[in-house]
Amino acid sequence: MSVFLQPGFWVFVLALAGIYGIFSLGLQIQYGVGGVMNFGHVGMMAISGYTIAVLVIKYQWSFWWAAFIGVALAALLGALLGLTTLRLSGDYFAIASIAFAEITRYWILNSDSVTGGTQGTLAIPSESGFSSYTTEPDVILTWIQDRLYPLIGDEASRDLAMVLVVWPFLFLFIWISSRLQQTSWARVLRATREDDDVPRSLGKNVFRFRLQTLIIGSVFGGIAGIFWALQFMLLAPEDFLRIVTFYGWMILILAGATRVKGLIFASIFFGFLYGATRFLDFWPLSLLSSPERAYLRVFLIGLVIVLLMLKRPQGFFGKREEMVLE
Amino acid sequence: MKKLIARTESISKNSSNEHILEVKDISVSFGGVQPVRGVSFGLTENSFTSIIGPNGAGKTSLFNLISGINKVDAGEIIFRGEALQDIHIHKIAQKGLVRTFQGAKVIRRLTVAENLMMAVQGNPGDNLRGFLNPRARSSFESKSREEAMRRLEQVGLTKFADEFAGILSGGQRKLLDLSRALMTKPSLLLLDEPFAGVNPTLVEKLLNVLEELRKDQEMTFLLIEHDLETVMRISDRVIVMAEGKIIADGLPNSIYESEVVIDAYLGSRRRGAK
Amino acid sequence: MTDLIQYLFNGLVAGSIFAIAAVGISLVYSVLRLVNFAAGDFLTLGAFITYYFSVTLELNFVLSILISMLAGMGISWFLELVLWRKLRRNKAGTLALFLVATGVALMLRPVIQYLFGTQVRKFNVDILKTYDFFGARIAHTQLIVLIFATASIITIALFMAKARIGKDMRAYANNPSLAAVSGINVDRVVVATWLISGALGSLAGVFQGLVQGQFNNAMGESLLLSFFAAVVLGTIGDAYGALLGGLLLGLFMELSQLGIFFGGVPSNYKPVVAFAALVLVLLFKPEGIFGYRARKV
Repeated sequence: MSVFLQPGFWVFVLALAGIYGIFSLGLQIQYGVGGVMNFGHVGMMAISGYTIAVLVIKYQWSFWWAAFIGVALAALLGALLGLTTLRLSGDYFAIASIAFAEITRYWILNSDSVTGGTQGTLAIPSESGFSSYTTEPDVILTWIQDRLYPLIGDEASRDLAMVLVVWPFLFLFIWISSRLQQTSWARVLRATREDDDVPRSLGKNVFRFRLQTLIIGSVFGGIAGIFWALQFMLLAPEDFLRIVTFYGWMILILAGATRVKGLIFASIFFGFLYGATRFLDFWPLSLLSSPERAYLRVFLIGLVIVLLMLKRPQGFFGKREEMVLE
Repeated sequence: MKKLIARTESISKNSSNEHILEVKDISVSFGGVQPVRGVSFGLTENSFTSIIGPNGAGKTSLFNLISGINKVDAGEIIFRGEALQDIHIHKIAQKGLVRTFQGAKVIRRLTVAENLMMAVQGNPGDNLRGFLNPRARSSFESKSREEAMRRLEQVGLTKFADEFAGILSGGQRKLLDLSRALMTKPSLLLLDEPFAGVNPTLVEKLLNVLEELRKDQEMTFLLIEHDLETVMRISDRVIVMAEGKIIADGLPNSIYESEVVIDAYLGSRRRGAK
Repeated sequence: MTDLIQYLFNGLVAGSIFAIAAVGISLVYSVLRLVNFAAGDFLTLGAFITYYFSVTLELNFVLSILISMLAGMGISWFLELVLWRKLRRNKAGTLALFLVATGVALMLRPVIQYLFGTQVRKFNVDILKTYDFFGARIAHTQLIVLIFATASIITIALFMAKARIGKDMRAYANNPSLAAVSGINVDRVVVATWLISGALGSLAGVFQGLVQGQFNNAMGESLLLSFFAAVVLGTIGDAYGALLGGLLLGLFMELSQLGIFFGGVPSNYKPVVAFAALVLVLLFKPEGIFGYRARKV
């Protein structure tokens, strides 16, 4: 039980929840508003995270510019994905989006001279031989830690500083997204979830609306990538497997696809599930080795998805009609 | 079979450049079936034309071609001097050519009022740039809402304004579909059986609404309708279709009397009705 | 020339395995409108069960394959009873089906890992034995796989064309409501579809394990998108198309390494060739190379 009682565990859970909350918010705008089933969302996080690492380590860019370019590239990848395959019907697009994310990952995996290949960002060739990309933002995180130290002592961890940075952003983005969902723009998108011909016959360019929602969602994916890169301080191709997209989907359907507030609780639940299968050490978890626990996490996430879809397809905060009436 | 094209003076007098819509020899086929074969006609501005014909005559397919939902294999569709056949559906609608649907497609998970508000043209909130100008957005929204409520009152759906459209009955959906098309302020409105399943008093009321629109806003109508009484009352021209072709075209009375038409379609129906 | 023969042969072998896996996915899609994300893990499961019976328990290899096919069928049937049937009754949408299939994959993977471990395994066959064929090196295992896979493909094609249940499946896929009123037992068709898909999954898994020589628990998962590419290539939902699509994709992936194509695609980019083929087909001919139905919305 000991880990449970340590504040550090919960701080880690919250940091992770904040990052994945932003990540899922992207999916929420895409699917919850626009009905676009993007199963390659992890590609956006990968591209922005890696852009930062490569630009900072290999080309000595400033972190802030690199982060900006990272998000821009995520948006560009979203646009590219949309322009090429968004005209396809739902299930075709979903498959194509996975292929996009996998192509991105394979490229990262096999471009050793740029991305460090299988060994991750630590192996990015750098003139200075210094392979960290978080030096600049760490100044801010350390500043926060220093202010907190007199108050709470050793609990003023880097994770806590991350929580204090990420969560305001999460709330800001939730606010923006809920404003966005009250616009007539979102109303047209909600209409397209049911039928394309009606909005089209009323003069709405359905493709443009879908493309926009895909790009906005990708921007959130890219921003989540920045924070992900900051939190873990090094990146490897296996951090961006297909399953990460489904972490996001689990959060989304747990929250109810159109419920912004549910997203916060669902993210924390995910953070807990992730953290618990990583750190908790009491029986029966103590019987499992750490790779086995990683598998337990995958199993539990699969189980949550299946049970939700069977018993409460609308999620814990959603209305049943939204999921069933498809 | 000899075609009897009963064109009357008043219609043939109009030269094509006065036509708001000019359909020239259009055809389409899907997997071996050819629902529309070589159809041509023109619509004068501010006119009310009805298309009648047995089931499977190609009426709805014709609407799908004109409104751009399906593209023609051959032929031309000219609306206000512009060729439509290669233009996207939404652009056609933006030009003022709007349709309703035979099955009355409503967006079930939007409220009745939202269904209507979605149809208003030129909404700054439809654009992401509008997101940055909340004042323009919200004033447009409240105007749209007012207009939507007016339309709902016209068709007696006011009390459903904030309910999901999915709860409406078939007849009510027709009314919503019609009102929604009117919200776009079209210059040419294609109506695909808008009155089927709507109670007669309301039909009467709607016909009056359409008549008024025609006078006040110079709208042109093209109607698919099975009920001949309605057709005879409101139309100033009737086109008869059978097997994908136009078999007669003229004033309502001349159509009613035409033997070819009686043979092909009206006869059985009139006999059946009496 | 030797290269060409080598890649052609490799492509045929890979393609025949793709064909078997793809036809299962395609059948499930055509009958159930379900993109089976768990298909890859069924391959892995089939290979591991065969491994368990033939290597650990030292049973006859062919018998072990049959047992693993039965296991694949059993699990698919079980999932139909506890999951898919309920979702159909609930009128679950595209997303729900997608996510449940993924959820099943996510649950299956740890179970396989827990039961069989993460170690690299190999079957009890001589993977080093090769034959010389006009200068090309052809592995003994490749030859076995090619022969048995070809036999399986012919059996599947005949089954779909001749067997009563195969015809029912195609009828149901073409028009579910018509098939239901014309007296086809829908539940029977659906169960048959799952049984076939389960059996083919295991079979493809064993073949893939043989050709690779050794395999671990990530084998099927990493191939999943290539299978989808084969399915889409051959018109999604068309069983014969999937067979051809699989063969073509296998050939295409191997031949892309030849120097005449962009100087030869490096072999670690082979999966990317499949993904790119998938995206390109979706882009330019979403109805598949043999299809005629317009799939664009």
